[in-house]
Amino acid sequence: MWETLIVQPMTNLLLWIYSLLGPGPHMFGLAIILFTILIRIITWPLNASQVKGAQAMQELQNDKDWQDIQKKYAKDREKLAQEQMRVYKEKGINPFASCLPTLIQFPIIIGLYQSIIRALAVTPLSMLQLARTAYPFLNIESIIPLNSRFLWMDLSRPESIAIFGFGLPTLAIIVAVTTYVQSKLTMPATANPGDQSAMMGNMMSIYMPLLLGWFALTFASGISVYFIVSNLLGIIQYAATGRANWRNLIPGEVPVRSKK
Amino acid sequence: LNTKRLILISLFAMAAILLSSCGTAPVNNWPGLAADAERAYLASGSFVYAIDLQSHNQVWRYPAEADNALHFYANPVLTPDGQLLIGSAGTNHALVSLDPATGQEKWAAPFARARGEWIATPLMFNDLIYAPNADGRLYVLNPDGTFVDSVELGGALWSAPVTDGGLIYVASLDHHMHIIDPANLQSVKTTDLGGAIPGGATPGPDGLYVGTFASQLQFVSASGDHEPLAESEGWIWGPPALDGETLYYADLEGNVYSLDLATVSQNWSGVKPDGPIAASPLVIGDQIFVVTEAGSFVVLDRAGKFNVTQVGGKIYTAPVVSGDLILVAPYQAGTALVAFDAAGKQVWTFTPAE
Repeated sequence: MWETLIVQPMTNLLLWIYSLLGPGPHMFGLAIILFTILIRIITWPLNASQVKGAQAMQELQNDKDWQDIQKKYAKDREKLAQEQMRVYKEKGINPFASCLPTLIQFPIIIGLYQSIIRALAVTPLSMLQLARTAYPFLNIESIIPLNSRFLWMDLSRPESIAIFGFGLPTLAIIVAVTTYVQSKLTMPATANPGDQSAMMGNMMSIYMPLLLGWFALTFASGISVYFIVSNLLGIIQYAATGRANWRNLIPGEVPVRSKK
Repeated sequence: LNTKRLILISLFAMAAILLSSCGTAPVNNWPGLAADAERAYLASGSFVYAIDLQSHNQVWRYPAEADNALHFYANPVLTPDGQLLIGSAGTNHALVSLDPATGQEKWAAPFARARGEWIATPLMFNDLIYAPNADGRLYVLNPDGTFVDSVELGGALWSAPVTDGGLIYVASLDHHMHIIDPANLQSVKTTDLGGAIPGGATPGPDGLYVGTFASQLQFVSASGDHEPLAESEGWIWGPPALDGETLYYADLEGNVYSLDLATVSQNWSGVKPDGPIAASPLVIGDQIFVVTEAGSFVVLDRAGKFNVTQVGGKIYTAPVVSGDLILVAPYQAGTALVAFDAAGKQVWTFTPAE
């Protein structure tokens, strides 16, 4: 099921984009970038609802009812949580909406990783699997082997740049930074630092960059290209709404309300 | 909240572990196989095994304990000076020389220069080792493992180089056959054969015979000129087997072909045992032996009639002959090595101890 519904279509989509670009150097990297843009377009409504949800959370901070319950139940966290949930429900706000697009990326990440490894076929066995994965219209024999070079990287292997004999994982760092920036920018602002959803969001903005950075460190660098492009597109999408609060990017700071 | 924090961290840790297990199996492949008169040498994952052909017991294994950086899938090769050479597809890119008698390591070249897996079998020619790597370079070593030179050919190199006694021929996945002068490692000619060449070539009296993913069997002369000899229904993986004036080869659609080189015509048609065939056929006397992905050992006569014996698992490794035995190394089967007699009857099996 996973193979038929996720890995095979993704691999074929990648191969199809690659075949359109031609077999030259850097083309598989470009194919991954175009693939990422396509995924972003497909998941656009989801991301838009995330932005909308974050805006609703920002607006909620100015709500009198919201501010009252923060003051009234400041010392009773259980009651405060109950009241917050009530307000969320009344106003139709999902406090975890900002996490959803990130979580929904996981199956895409797994599928893409498997597709990249499948498409690059680094062993005879994986070449055989690739032959079976390709849809007939692709004329796969003319495009394999795929050129795995992209800029300074081999997309089938984890990336690092040797500096003074030490392998610096450049892409892993960029992945962690862009994930941090994206999660901070899309994190809803709160008036109350003790707000549970805000704390959860803060934790996510710390753990998610570490997690994805670790993936980038461990996995084929093709997946890092996906992470970076996807993060940058997410940042651009959010910044385009004019709601991005760049002060949130300072580590340790509780996200504050946008001036807007 | 501490509990929630703990749960969240645990969920992240679980996600990390799950995703890692989904993704980090970078190297897996079917086994490599070689044999001399007394032993079979099986390269299967973490170990290379030597198996005594009389007692069919394990004589040694290398390394003694599994090393995550070492994965062996290439066909080992026995050199005239008494080495067993095998490259690792693991992360340290080691090319290893073993004593075939004891399994002791003679030398290991961790090879900081090589960036890819060793999938191809090296060639020893004129007292030098020619080792193609998946990074697209052909490395040249002295018999003691010291580095001599290397040349960038481009495309992953998965197949053993062959020689006509003067020049060296290296097939690449990037569709090219490289003809190299070993005196200076200069390319004499590079020929595009129109499809990936994963399995290498078979030298003949006047040139080479090569199967490609373009579903063609090609003839390549020493000057690099080439002409298609025959089409196939599917991709040709293993190099053809030359027997006098007849060329036997198979394809991934499961066909076995017999091409008469004198007339350039097929001796039979529609010979399709029971599954895709990646390995080269083996010709002994009047019999042709092939193995299939369906896990079968197939014995054909020269008229194309065949008998199928089920071995189990999937078989992609070319069968190897030693004395009266034909050795078959299945992949993902209950046993690692199966010995047959010339009549196609199973004689013994070998399964490594845990």
